[in-house]
Amino acid sequence: MIRKGLAGGSFKPLTEESIDRIHQTAMRVIEDVGFEVNSEIALELFKGAGAWVDREKHLVRLSRKRVMELIEMAPSEIRLCGQDEKHDILLGGQRVYTGTGGTALYIYHPDTGQKQLATLDDLKRIAKLVEQLDNIHLFMLPTYPSELPVEQVDVNRFFAGLDNTTKHVMGGIYTLDGVKQVIRMAEIIAGSGERLHQRPIISMITCSMSPLKMDRHYGDLVVTIAQAGIPLVCPAEPLCGATSPVTLAGNLVIQTVDSLTGVLLTQIVNPGTPVVFGSVSASTDFRDLKYLAGSVEMGLLNAAGAQIAQFYKLPFYATGGMTDSKVLDAQSGYESALTSLLCALAGANFIHDAAGLMEFALTTCYEKYVIDNEILGMVMRAVEGIAVNDETLAFDLIKQVGPGGNFITAKHTRHFMRDEHYQPSLSDRDSREEWEARGGKTTWERAAEGAKEIIANHNYSLPAAVRQQVLSEIADIVD
Amino acid sequence: MTEDILALIKGNVIQGRVTQDDEGFDEGVVGQPGVSELTEKALARGIGLRDIINKGLTEGMDIVGQKFEAKEYYIPDMLASAEAVGAAMEILEPHLAKSGIKSKGKIIVATVEGDLHDIGKNIVSILLRGAGYMVKDLGNDVSPQTIVAAVIEEKPQFVGLSALLTSTMIHMRDTIQALTASGLRDKVKIIIGGAAVSEKFAQSIGADGYGADGFQAVRVTESLSSSKENKGGDHG
Ligand code: B12
Repeated sequence: MIRKGLAGGSFKPLTEESIDRIHQTAMRVIEDVGFEVNSEIALELFKGAGAWVDREKHLVRLSRKRVMELIEMAPSEIRLCGQDEKHDILLGGQRVYTGTGGTALYIYHPDTGQKQLATLDDLKRIAKLVEQLDNIHLFMLPTYPSELPVEQVDVNRFFAGLDNTTKHVMGGIYTLDGVKQVIRMAEIIAGSGERLHQRPIISMITCSMSPLKMDRHYGDLVVTIAQAGIPLVCPAEPLCGATSPVTLAGNLVIQTVDSLTGVLLTQIVNPGTPVVFGSVSASTDFRDLKYLAGSVEMGLLNAAGAQIAQFYKLPFYATGGMTDSKVLDAQSGYESALTSLLCALAGANFIHDAAGLMEFALTTCYEKYVIDNEILGMVMRAVEGIAVNDETLAFDLIKQVGPGGNFITAKHTRHFMRDEHYQPSLSDRDSREEWEARGGKTTWERAAEGAKEIIANHNYSLPAAVRQQVLSEIADIVD
Repeated sequence: MTEDILALIKGNVIQGRVTQDDEGFDEGVVGQPGVSELTEKALARGIGLRDIINKGLTEGMDIVGQKFEAKEYYIPDMLASAEAVGAAMEILEPHLAKSGIKSKGKIIVATVEGDLHDIGKNIVSILLRGAGYMVKDLGNDVSPQTIVAAVIEEKPQFVGLSALLTSTMIHMRDTIQALTASGLRDKVKIIIGGAAVSEKFAQSIGADGYGADGFQAVRVTESLSSSKENKGGDHG
């Protein structure tokens, strides 16, 4: 049983009054302080849409009324499609999905204890792995191919994804030409431009520069992507005490404004553009201001972000499931589990970074995908909650079994046991004797075996004719 | 009297107070003179520059360092102190020039072209300022040409480059090549840092040093400072 798209929302770190106060403060910031827009095209567009623009300072301010009108135009549900329809996901409401995240610099090999700059081959292998891990619902491109010149990076990253997994492929992008090439490639794979719009098998990510700034390059990219109508996430990454107030509420204000600036721009460019409200909010280590990827505050911030997105009726992209640990150990387990659980229970639509990332998001690791797949299975079970109805309350059964009886042979048990209780694929539940007889392996040793087996034995690639067409039309692809 | 003012400077460096309006680490100090006011006062009293720097600023910073090591202080505490020292050094600079006492040197810092990550670079700048260097921060997304122009203009002894992306680390090499092409390479020591780069990468592109964090950045700069003096390099 694969659990995905179930409704969360039972965990609410913010009261309704708190959500309103964060919203009101964010609107005050947009009205009174404004945000800097360094892309000329974007600045013009904001001006045309009724913003107050200070050209010298590149500053944009909008009335809260105008902000809310633009938010209204954005769809509250977005379908992100897989090449295989069974992998489609419908972001919005309080439905929860999980996925990988990026873009890690390094790949870690637990058996040698070494990390290396990641390559295109790593990216392909991770795609193969994720294709088989059922509790990871979406493939976000997790690494950067260090061996390629930047002009070839976008199209090769997306090709590595699309050619190795049938799940939806989301990714950050680096150049304008790259974006155009990727869209062209996706059109070929989808069948046509029209088909790609109906079934977007890719989506893209840009970023804002907290606090209150939209960079020139990313402003231009947002405009290009919105014009093409490709689903887009424009997340903000305010870090407590560094690029946002140190307080969680202050961080959420910056988070809200900075993520909304991207949403607003897309709706000005192309009303109705599928855009996702995105949070990469995090905290820092005050010992050296290092970015932290596994703090409990990060879990709280991203769970709260889900509530704010629900308030604006926008689909949400959250960050959770990572760790600051350098190895796969207790810390990597509890940090990954806690942060993804908080987001999921709050009804975060898409939890990105939920699989594979360690060491402050700098490093990815094959084994961690397998471990996180298990964590996410448990997380989704928690989201599912407890079904209470006549059948599950089981009065008749209790009456039938009576005092001192047992439920082992009851049909009810067989009927419900597999679905009612999460069945682990990695966790060890053997007796000590059994466990020792099987080699006494630790979690990461078992995960390593799982990862090796999947990568060796499973191979998806694009249908031959389509693949051929992509390769012949797009010269930059390294096959 | 002299001793008092120096002790106050030292104490306020430890408190991380630039001016009289600042809060300190301890409660109830707002309104009392901060390091800026005290430095002006010390100058007015004719207290020696060396004493202000050594017995006031440096001794204060040493204690801040100890508190940091002991996990009593966090980075924002440390930065407040570094800022106080930086403010004092700015006040002292014209006097230093006149008296012939050399400041520790000037460093230009920048995040390289195409890269917008600047939190780490900003920390490095503040810590270097706190350690007594003159820091010229060129910001982020800075092209090799801009850095070359700044080296010509500012005549620094050091250039610090930051990169966090695989796609931008290569611009560190480009910057070094541009400096070489302009005949400036041997006028400056080049130090690099940021999540994308390593000691090995630093060597491979011909940089002089690498710092994994802000403290190492200061240490590497200091160690290159001493070798710099030996070489006696200067801008002609
Ligand atoms: C915050 C952050 C951002 C913020 C930056 C905000 C800002 N004002 O700087 C925003 C959101 C804008 C951002 C954007 C992007 N980011 Co970013 N970002 C980070 C993150 C999470 C933390 C960086 C940070 O500030 N750390 C805290 C500081 C204190 O540490 P530090 O920078 O390492 O600096 C210390 C040392 O390195 C050293 N040091 C630094 N500079 C120097 C210089 C000298 C001379 C010396 C001696 C030492 C030194 O001392 C510093 C102090 O101790 C990192 C992940 C990470 N853990 O590093 C990703 C990360 C670097 N980003 C990444 C990516 C992919 C991006 C984007 C491409 C994402 C996108 N969707 O488009 C964009 C690129 C934007 C651009 N063109 O630059 C990747 C890089 C992957 C790669 N292979 O290149 C990382 C690794 C995250 C990830 N796993 O995805 N990012």
